[in-house]
Amino acid sequence: MKIPRVWDKRNLVLLTELTKTDFKLRYQGSVLGYLWALLRPLLMFAILYIVFAKLLQFGNDIPHYPVYLLTGTVLWSFFTECSQQGIQAMVGRGDLIRKISFPKYIVTVSTTLTAVINLLINLVVIVIFALINGVAPSFSWLLVLPLIFELYLLALGISFLLGSINVKYRDIGSIWDVLIQALFYAVPIIYPIAMVAETSTWAAKVILLNPIAQVIQDVRWSLITPATVTTSGFVGVWAELVAMGIVLGTFVIGALVFRKRSRFFAEEI
Amino acid sequence: MVDKRAIGKRTVISDSKSNVAISVRGLSKSFRLPTERAWGLKQAFFNRLRGVKGYKDQKVLDNINLEIKKGEFVGIVGRNGSGKSTLLKLLAGIYYPSAGEIIVNGSLVPFIELGVGFNMELSGRENVYLNGAILGFSNSEVEAMYDDIVKFAELGEFMDQKLKNYSSGMQVRLAFSIAIRAKGDILILDEVLAVGDAEFQRKCNDYFESLHGNQTVILVTHSMDNVKKFCDRAIMIEGGKIACEGKPEKVAEAYEKLFI
Repeated sequence: MKIPRVWDKRNLVLLTELTKTDFKLRYQGSVLGYLWALLRPLLMFAILYIVFAKLLQFGNDIPHYPVYLLTGTVLWSFFTECSQQGIQAMVGRGDLIRKISFPKYIVTVSTTLTAVINLLINLVVIVIFALINGVAPSFSWLLVLPLIFELYLLALGISFLLGSINVKYRDIGSIWDVLIQALFYAVPIIYPIAMVAETSTWAAKVILLNPIAQVIQDVRWSLITPATVTTSGFVGVWAELVAMGIVLGTFVIGALVFRKRSRFFAEEI
Repeated sequence: MVDKRAIGKRTVISDSKSNVAISVRGLSKSFRLPTERAWGLKQAFFNRLRGVKGYKDQKVLDNINLEIKKGEFVGIVGRNGSGKSTLLKLLAGIYYPSAGEIIVNGSLVPFIELGVGFNMELSGRENVYLNGAILGFSNSEVEAMYDDIVKFAELGEFMDQKLKNYSSGMQVRLAFSIAIRAKGDILILDEVLAVGDAEFQRKCNDYFESLHGNQTVILVTHSMDNVKKFCDRAIMIEGGKIACEGKPEKVAEAYEKLFI
């Protein structure tokens, strides 16, 4: 079994060039350009804030609820963007795959890295927002980076797994688009998890086993307030490990399937 | 998910003592072609349910054996659809062999097409860096030869324009100027290099001339003039098999007989 040479100089150059190209092209031809990377989650946040915090009065008992809501929407946007674009990566770069020989995972990684760059820009906005809102800076903020890495690993695993099937069966991309809409409501982004726990502790526990919910709650915990209901705090440390296990499992299975199928991408695309 | 399709092998070695550049043993390639409306999940599901395969295997190359020595300029000829391009893509590692073995000794640079990865929305300059990275150059290497590339392509004042504003001739010129910088132990050139006007043809010829004797080259072409002019040896492929092999004159004659 040959381990891919991730740090091979040639691959690294190709990865940076493709990432640069993707990032440049994403907002090509729009008046506001890169500003859209910031505006999209902020506008989504504004809508959710008006509907859920102001009209429906969600999260009245959560300190710094606007920051809480913004963090959730930004992380969710990242996961959606990352997985949707990652799944389409092979099909979108068919021109390269049919003409040169190179490790195909470079395309998936370069496509998803654009979402990572967007997230990092948004993270700066969240921090500014949090400081304005009166959140005290703390060392626990540093935990945010490994948590983001966990979420990225999950999105990348899904991109590898579904992206390699999507080469042959283009339905996968559309199925995922619908699935992710449903998933949005299964993750405590707009509603506080405590609201679910009031009616059913059991349902809240199941929700928190989802690694996306685990990451979002943990980020909120380390960034905004220790009063956040987290997977390890509410369900138990074992549940935190299960959620992380799901991420690792998805990534390993995704990478293996991708590696096995990638030799046929050139002829199937 | 056991895939029975691929049992062939392609290995890249680096053996400076051996005088063999490429060695191919018993190489076969089949494509899995979907039969009527087998695309999509729904059809795949029903096909499986009914026990229909939903595809047929089409053999494109059948038991190819060949050996290319270092420094040899080899021409590959054949009719459209004979399997030349498939052979090229197998040697380049783009397709995976169904059976047999390919051993490539040294680094290999394929030109299946000029300007792979060129993006119309990017400027000429950005495309040089992108295409350079695809051909295996680092940023500093591209930087070092950037001026030469621009000069050779005669595109000095257009480099900051988007590629979509270039004429097709300008695009080919730019792609060609980058391509000829590529350094590898083995070059694989598809006939795409032989497009363009007389001036461009002359540049192509000069380039081939400069390669002759210094470099291992595999050239796929329909031009028997080029075969006779540049090649040390030629191979004709017909119906997925090697039909004729040897001196360029002999192979060119056999090729011309195909069309009588």
